[in-house]
Amino acid sequence: MTIRTIGAVAALVAGTLLGGAAQAQGRLNLYCSVQEDWCQLMQTEFEKATGIRVAMTRKSSGETYAQVKAEKDNPRGDIWWGGTGDPHLQAAEEGLTADYETPRMGEMQDWAVQQWRTGRKRTIGIYAGALGFGFNTELLAKKNLPEPKCWADLVNPAYKGEVQVANPHSSGTSYTMVASLVQIMGENGAFDYLRKLNTNVNQYTKSGAAPIVAAGRGETLIGIVFMHDAITQSVRNFPIKTVAPCEGTGYEIGSMSIIAGARNLDSARKFYDWALSAEAQALGARAQSYQVPSNKGAATPPQAPKLSEIKLINYDFPKFGSSEERKRLLSRFDAEIKIAN
Amino acid sequence: MPVTILTWLGIGWIGFLLLPWYGLEDGITRTPLRYYLGDEAGPGLIQAALHAKWWLWPVAAALALPLLALRPNSDHRRAGTILIVVGTAGLAWISLQGFALTHRGWGWSILAEMFGPTTQRQFGMGWGAASVATSLLFLLTTGLARRGAMRGDAFVTGAIGIVVATVALFVFWPVIEVLFEAALTNDGRYGLMPLANRLTTQTIWGLGCFQGQRSCGVFWNSVLLATIVGITTTLLGLAFALLAQRTAFPAKPLLKLVAVLPVITPPFVIGLAIILLFGRNGAVTLFLESAFGIPPTRWIYGLPGLVLVQTLAFAPIAFMVLLGVVQGVSPSMEEAAQTLRASRWRVFTTVTLPLIRPGLANSFLIGFVESLADFGNPLVLAGNFNVLSTQIFFAIVGAQSDPGRAAALSMVLLAVCLAAFFLQNVWLGKRAYTTVSGKGDGGMHAPLPRGARWFIYGTAVPWMAFTLIVYAMIVVGGFVENFGRDNSFTLKHYVVTFGIEWGQHGIVWAGRAWNSLFTTLQLSALAAPLTAAIGLLTAYLLARQTFAGKQAFEFTTMLSFAIPGTVIGVSYIVAFNVPPLELTGTGIILVICFVFRNMPVAIRAGVATLSQIDKSLDECSLMLRHGSFATLRRVVLPLLRPAIVAALVYSFVRAITSVSAVVFLVSAEYNLATAYIVNRVEVSDYGVAIAYSSALVVIMAVGVGLIQLVVGERRLGRRGGASSILREASA
Amino acid sequence: MKISARSADVEFRDVTRRFGNVVAVDSISFTIASGTLVTLLGPSGCGKTTTLRMIAGLEIPSAGTIRIGGRDVTRLPATARDVSMVFQSYALFPHMNVIENVAYGLAVGGGSKAEQRDRARAGLELVGLAGYDARMPSELSGGQQQRVAVARALVLEPSVLLFDEPLSNLDAKLRRRMREEIRDLQQKLGLTAVYVTHDQEEALAVSDVIVVMSQARIAQSGSPAELYDQPATRFVADFIGGANLLPCEVGPHRDGVATCRLGPLAFDLPHRGIAAGGTTLAVRPHAIRLHTHPAADRLPARIRKATYLGSHIEFTLDSDVGELFAIASAGDGMQVSQGASVHASLGPGGLALVRD
Repeated sequence: MTIRTIGAVAALVAGTLLGGAAQAQGRLNLYCSVQEDWCQLMQTEFEKATGIRVAMTRKSSGETYAQVKAEKDNPRGDIWWGGTGDPHLQAAEEGLTADYETPRMGEMQDWAVQQWRTGRKRTIGIYAGALGFGFNTELLAKKNLPEPKCWADLVNPAYKGEVQVANPHSSGTSYTMVASLVQIMGENGAFDYLRKLNTNVNQYTKSGAAPIVAAGRGETLIGIVFMHDAITQSVRNFPIKTVAPCEGTGYEIGSMSIIAGARNLDSARKFYDWALSAEAQALGARAQSYQVPSNKGAATPPQAPKLSEIKLINYDFPKFGSSEERKRLLSRFDAEIKIAN
Repeated sequence: MPVTILTWLGIGWIGFLLLPWYGLEDGITRTPLRYYLGDEAGPGLIQAALHAKWWLWPVAAALALPLLALRPNSDHRRAGTILIVVGTAGLAWISLQGFALTHRGWGWSILAEMFGPTTQRQFGMGWGAASVATSLLFLLTTGLARRGAMRGDAFVTGAIGIVVATVALFVFWPVIEVLFEAALTNDGRYGLMPLANRLTTQTIWGLGCFQGQRSCGVFWNSVLLATIVGITTTLLGLAFALLAQRTAFPAKPLLKLVAVLPVITPPFVIGLAIILLFGRNGAVTLFLESAFGIPPTRWIYGLPGLVLVQTLAFAPIAFMVLLGVVQGVSPSMEEAAQTLRASRWRVFTTVTLPLIRPGLANSFLIGFVESLADFGNPLVLAGNFNVLSTQIFFAIVGAQSDPGRAAALSMVLLAVCLAAFFLQNVWLGKRAYTTVSGKGDGGMHAPLPRGARWFIYGTAVPWMAFTLIVYAMIVVGGFVENFGRDNSFTLKHYVVTFGIEWGQHGIVWAGRAWNSLFTTLQLSALAAPLTAAIGLLTAYLLARQTFAGKQAFEFTTMLSFAIPGTVIGVSYIVAFNVPPLELTGTGIILVICFVFRNMPVAIRAGVATLSQIDKSLDECSLMLRHGSFATLRRVVLPLLRPAIVAALVYSFVRAITSVSAVVFLVSAEYNLATAYIVNRVEVSDYGVAIAYSSALVVIMAVGVGLIQLVVGERRLGRRGGASSILREASA
Repeated sequence: MKISARSADVEFRDVTRRFGNVVAVDSISFTIASGTLVTLLGPSGCGKTTTLRMIAGLEIPSAGTIRIGGRDVTRLPATARDVSMVFQSYALFPHMNVIENVAYGLAVGGGSKAEQRDRARAGLELVGLAGYDARMPSELSGGQQQRVAVARALVLEPSVLLFDEPLSNLDAKLRRRMREEIRDLQQKLGLTAVYVTHDQEEALAVSDVIVVMSQARIAQSGSPAELYDQPATRFVADFIGGANLLPCEVGPHRDGVATCRLGPLAFDLPHRGIAAGGTTLAVRPHAIRLHTHPAADRLPARIRKATYLGSHIEFTLDSDVGELFAIASAGDGMQVSQGASVHASLGPGGLALVRD
């Protein structure tokens, strides 16, 4: 090894390990659990608005929850924005996140405030998304099958091997489905339904949005997902039609929490307040994400499913978000619906 | 005092007197005086003298003792004893004080009870503490050598010391920490019942697939898949290696390209291409439907698809391992067999194949373990065929986060790897496989039997074609609007990903990928040589030295490879997020993760190649006044070139393409290319994902080429063709 | 440039080497005088190679002291011992050509590249391989490779030069020539050399002193003639030169001599410390003479087998004291056929009392 090589290596090492230190109006470590474009938009817009330097890490809500939990003795993140509400509630339950009451509480939709109460002031709703399903119109025409409109349609033997849904063990989306069905049909009715559905399901995927991606590609006919995920597929020119089930459906509340022991608490609170503003909540649509914002004053994107036109059930978040209920339902699911494992 | 001891003492003192004792969040950016005297950035001496950190004085004492006690003409053994005492005591004290006093005061509650509350705090160790610890470690190993350990060879004891210490620190400790979770009850205690429950569940061992259910337990699935993939990759790798070494195949450069391509492909991409070909709506499926009326099915989701895609992905590693081994088979042994009236087929089956047995065993082991640990492909293609790696991932990040279950599943996975490792050792036995000996060997390799040649052409060539089709699709995918749906040409994905603009102050890296790309390249360029170095050093120790606990040591080095990346990722956070070793959020933790995760391949390649090199070559070099280090450099390394290339290439490429382990370790500042690609795949933005992946493939190909150019080929002076004839003519 | 030697003596004191539970070398002591060639001789597994490797520094003794030139080297690594070695497999580096191989060890000692080359060339010249500089090891014959290995060890002018069965890979004719060359070189340069072999003929031919080892211990050491004429044990007598080992009865000592009875025969032989009572008489095959007529000092015997070998005849005989193996010169004119009765006389010379 020549001196020059050693020099180059040394420079590389130094550059990697010592790091730079840009000083700004403060800094914020943001854990973001929606899709990348939206995260980046939130980051840059917040930086523009406040001058605070944001270090953003994007991971799925499950990954972020696992990370926040692993880091609890020495937290690295300041705020966790986005992702389905259950892991936020779980983190709140375990004291991984911190209490905060925003001055914007009055601008919030009721369901967002409800989430805040359920989560002992430690998490708040930032968007809502209704559960539903989507189907591949081309495949439907080719197979000459009827359009599914209701939950009940999905157990039609004509769709044998054509439905895809995530595994409720691995995906919050799928758990929301199980909980919604229990609330619509009663527990025994719901499990009867799931047993019948099982014969039509070709695969229980790992990730919640995977079924609709597969449907978009024609790998399956129907995917049970959050409706905004289905709409994203249509916007990307896949032949997907989104359906709000006629019996009514449950929904998720995308949430935001300040991490307990955050090193940049002031910045985190600034972000919290900003993210609840009408302007910030309009950013989702720019990133092709069509959830319903939680600020009453924020414009709902035209593509988004109109919550007013969907028969939403009165989803019992405190009950179905609790660990015990979740565990109970999932073990019953395991016992009665022998899916894959 | 000898130079070695002085050097290490010097490093220790520099660490104690000049370098910041604790880790700094922002790097070294303070003004010099504050930097030097502050309680945050001060070196050990300042901390002890000005900031009442009295427990650092024993460290100074440990460093001072050799200076006081050692004289130039000190007796060898006595000096050794002093160094051993100093090294052991110093290291023990540093770890003890590190765990006892943390960033939140007392680290152990018993200390709080004994001494009451404390206001003192300690952050993670910094460069100062690291230098002192390193110095003490090497003083200890030098002392051991002084006392005659490892034939008095300080280099060998030092090498064992550093490898054992780092493997213990970065493999053993985090893994143990996380495995303990398997015995954790709901209320945070440890117990045997939860462990037993988690280990005996039906989801692991169930045989439901024989009773009409969708799938068997994950144990059976994983073992079945891994065994098949181990066999297919080894066979294909062997076919490729023989094709490259023993036939007059006209397109060898193309062969090497095809064999290397899958290795340098980011995860998900191959799986995606396979779906686009064979999925229910895939090109091949649709063609079969229109041409032959075969109805489209979802057969690709599950075992068949996984075997296909994992074979595609891992056969090249088998190829790289076997290439060196096939090259190393002594031609004169084959000639000897031929002169014993053995037919070509007999030569091949009774001499050539048995001689490459270590290579076959190693490549099977790698294929087997790779398949077990693979996470990206099952995620895309597993369907209802659950395997351990994905189950572990979702046990941690899934809707029902259960680290205990993940830990239990990891134990099962580990046990499988352990069993495979054990069986391999049994199969290889104690036979000798030396073929590169100190006697000049000028023979020609025996021609392959016809049957074997047909087999090789019959498997390798169609496979090459298949690979090329898959890659053609990937290349095309980056240039079309929406692959499979709207196939009109566009450059927009590349513009979005790698756009460069001219701003006021010069180039603006406007593309979205630049940031993660630069980080990825920087970290992998750093990780690759480190991995190769420590891996081959370990291989050298395993193959050439005997010491107590070698078997256990060898197994530990395999641990990080066998444990799925997700578990490693989480265990790194658990172990290295708090003082005394606070590494999360830095680039170091990613580099360390890459090094210790990919090291086993370097070890396997090194061991396989070393087992073919006559040990008397090393001994001879020792006798010729070259110390172990010089021997390693001048004799072993030149003969190890195939293994070096394999190790460097593999670790470089793996650092770029790994996903599961780093998912938890990437941070805002250190984001990696694959993490970005996975995000794009998640939102089905395949254009950008494929464009980025194709660019990575090209970058890695260039990197691999550079590595081969720099390391060069092994020169064994065998009669192979024109070059040796020329040499003889000129001699 | 001339290659010379800086020979030193080697001393082993109570050296033991254990591998786990196996004792490979069991508390052996000996001294090798400067400028002599000493052979470690013994069957495989006797500990001779381990002993050699301990001199080299490739093994470290479990107990005891090794000195080279008066310096305690017991725990010194191989590189610090000023010893070099010629390996059984030659151990030529396959990726280096001849001159690079020979110059390899010189690179450590300093000196310019040109000096190293010159020295290496001198070494090659010494072994008769001048002009082979650029050849690769694979392009040399076995004998040539052996010479390169010797040259490579010699150019370092070591204080001790070690040979580990250096000739075992060569054919018989070449072996004879190479051993003579090695002996010539050693004597010309005055080297201290330690030579391991299991071939007693080779040992007798090249050695100043032979150390015979058996079962991890030294059975006997001495000059070739001493070992042949006065073997101390049954093992040495049999291993060197071969011997008929016959049970005999020793009478009381007088003036260093004792009377030994073998069946009807009696011999006065040096007792060499062997106590009175039953012991073994070693009889060299050529010390047995066959006669057609009986006499008082002859044993009656019957020929079981006779093999004509040109210069001599080998006999296997049955007698009252046991089976005898005898060699007679073919020129004796004795033409004795199988089954014939003969009478054998023993000695004088070629007889020794040995310990069991």
